[in-house]
Amino acid sequence: MSTRPDGIPGSLLKGPFAVGSYARMLQEELRKRARVQLFGEVWGFRAARARVYFELRDGEGALPCSMWRADFDALGLGPLADGAQVVVAGGPSYYPGSRTSSPHFAFDVTAVRLAGEGDLLAQLDRLRKALDAEGLLTPQKRLARPALPRTIGVVCAERGKARDDVLAGLRRRGWAGRVVWAFAPVQDRHAAPAIARALADLAAVGGVDVIVVARGGGSLADLFCFCDEILCRTVALLPVPVIASVGHHTDRTLLDDVAAVSCSTPTHAAEAAVPLDCGRARAALADAAARLDAHGRRAVVDRARALARLSRAPAQHLDRQRVALRQSLRELRAAGRRGLAARRDRTARHALVLARKGAAEQAQAARAATLERLRLALDAHDPARTLERGYALVQDRDGGVVTSARAARDAGDVRLRFGDAAVDATIRDA
Amino acid sequence: MSSEPAHTYETATARIEEIIRRLDSGEAGLRETLDLLREGRGLVELCAAELDEVGRGLQELRLDELVARLESGERAAS
Repeated sequence: MSTRPDGIPGSLLKGPFAVGSYARMLQEELRKRARVQLFGEVWGFRAARARVYFELRDGEGALPCSMWRADFDALGLGPLADGAQVVVAGGPSYYPGSRTSSPHFAFDVTAVRLAGEGDLLAQLDRLRKALDAEGLLTPQKRLARPALPRTIGVVCAERGKARDDVLAGLRRRGWAGRVVWAFAPVQDRHAAPAIARALADLAAVGGVDVIVVARGGGSLADLFCFCDEILCRTVALLPVPVIASVGHHTDRTLLDDVAAVSCSTPTHAAEAAVPLDCGRARAALADAAARLDAHGRRAVVDRARALARLSRAPAQHLDRQRVALRQSLRELRAAGRRGLAARRDRTARHALVLARKGAAEQAQAARAATLERLRLALDAHDPARTLERGYALVQDRDGGVVTSARAARDAGDVRLRFGDAAVDATIRDA
Repeated sequence: MSSEPAHTYETATARIEEIIRRLDSGEAGLRETLDLLREGRGLVELCAAELDEVGRGLQELRLDELVARLESGERAAS
C-alpha cells in the first residue's frame, strides 16, 4: 500500500484519493442508476470468448455496449449486422480495471430485441433499387476496357496503403505507363463530392483509359461516402470505365454496383485495370514475330527449291524409265529360267507316275493267274465233280457217309447219291 | 479498296494469331503468303509500339496540377 502523497497546492478539491478506490466507487455509483431500455443501430459487432461487444448509435450519440456471450447466444440472433436496429435492456457499468488491466465503460446489456432493419441499410437498399430502375447499374459494364491502357487515373487518399497497393498491382502486370493521381478524402462527409469531382476531372482531361477508385477496408459506416447518390450517378454516366475497390466483399457499397468492375483489394483493381501481363505479352509478340520471319524465309526458299526440282525433272524422268526397263528385262530372264526348270521337274514326276502304274498292272495279272490255279485245284476236290464222273456217295439214314461193305451191311437201308440225284437202296447180303 | 480497320492491341494480336494459323496451314499461295506477311509484320510493329508505351517507366502525374496546367493553357489561348 503506497503512502498518500500531498495534494496539489492551492487546490480546493478533496483528496488526493487512491485511484482504485475511486474507480470502485464510480462503479458502485453507476450500478445504482436505473435499469432502462434503449434503442438505436448496431455498429461494429464482435464476439469475444466470454462477451460480445458493439456500439449502439443514432444521430445524436452512441454508447459502447457489452453482453455475456452465453446470454446473447441463447437469443439465437446470430452476429448483428451493421445498421441493424435493436432495443437493448440493461444499465451502465464501469469496470475499474487494475494495475495490469485497463478500465472500461460499457452499457451492460441483459436483453436484446431486433427492431427492424437499420435506417441506413434501408436507405441504401431504396437507393440501389432506384438506380437499378433507372438502368444506371449497367452503363459502366458496357464500356470497352482496353487490354493495354496507356494512362490510368487513380482516385485514393494521398497517404494510405491503397496507393502502394495499386502501384504493386501495376508492377505485377509489368505495366509502366502513365498514372494520373487524383487524391481525395475517402472517409468523411466531404469525401463523396470530392471523389465525384475527381472522377469527372479525370474523364475530362482526356487520354485516361480507365479509372481506379481505391480504398482499404473498413466498416460499412466508414465506407458510406461510396454510397452517395450523386457520386454513384456521376460514375454511372462517366464515359471512362471505373474499377471500384473500396471495401471488402462483405461490405458492398453502391459504387461497387454502378462501377464497371468491383474488386476486393486495390491490388486486384490495378490488375483489372491492366488485364494483360506485359511481360508475357512481350514474349508472345517476339514469338509471333519470329514465326512470321520463319514463314517469310520459307515462302521464298521452299519455292526456289521446288522450282529447282521441276527444272531437273525431265532428265530424272528418263533416268527413272531406263532403270525401270533394265529391271523389267532382268525379271523376264529370270522368269524364263524359272519356267524351264519347272517343266523339267514336271516331266520327271510324270515318268515316275507311269512307271509305278505299269508295275501295279503286272502284279494284278499275277494275282489273277494264282487265283485260277487255286480255283482249278479246289474244283478237283469238289465231291460233285467226282459224282459227275460216275461215282456214287453211300449215306446211312442219318446222312453219315458209309465207307465200307460191313458198314453198309450194318446200316441195311442206305441212300445212294449220284451226280444228278439220290436214290434209296436196301443191302442184301448174298 | 476498303481501308484497313483501326486495330486495338487485342484485335491486332488476334489478327496476328489468325495470320500465323493460315500460314501454318500451308494452304496460302505465294501472293497470299506475301500479303499476310506484310500485314502481320505491320501488326507486330503496332503491338510493339503499344507495349513500348507502357514499358518506358512509370510516369506519375497529379490531377490537380494537370487541371491547373490545362486551365492556364485555356486562359492563355483566350
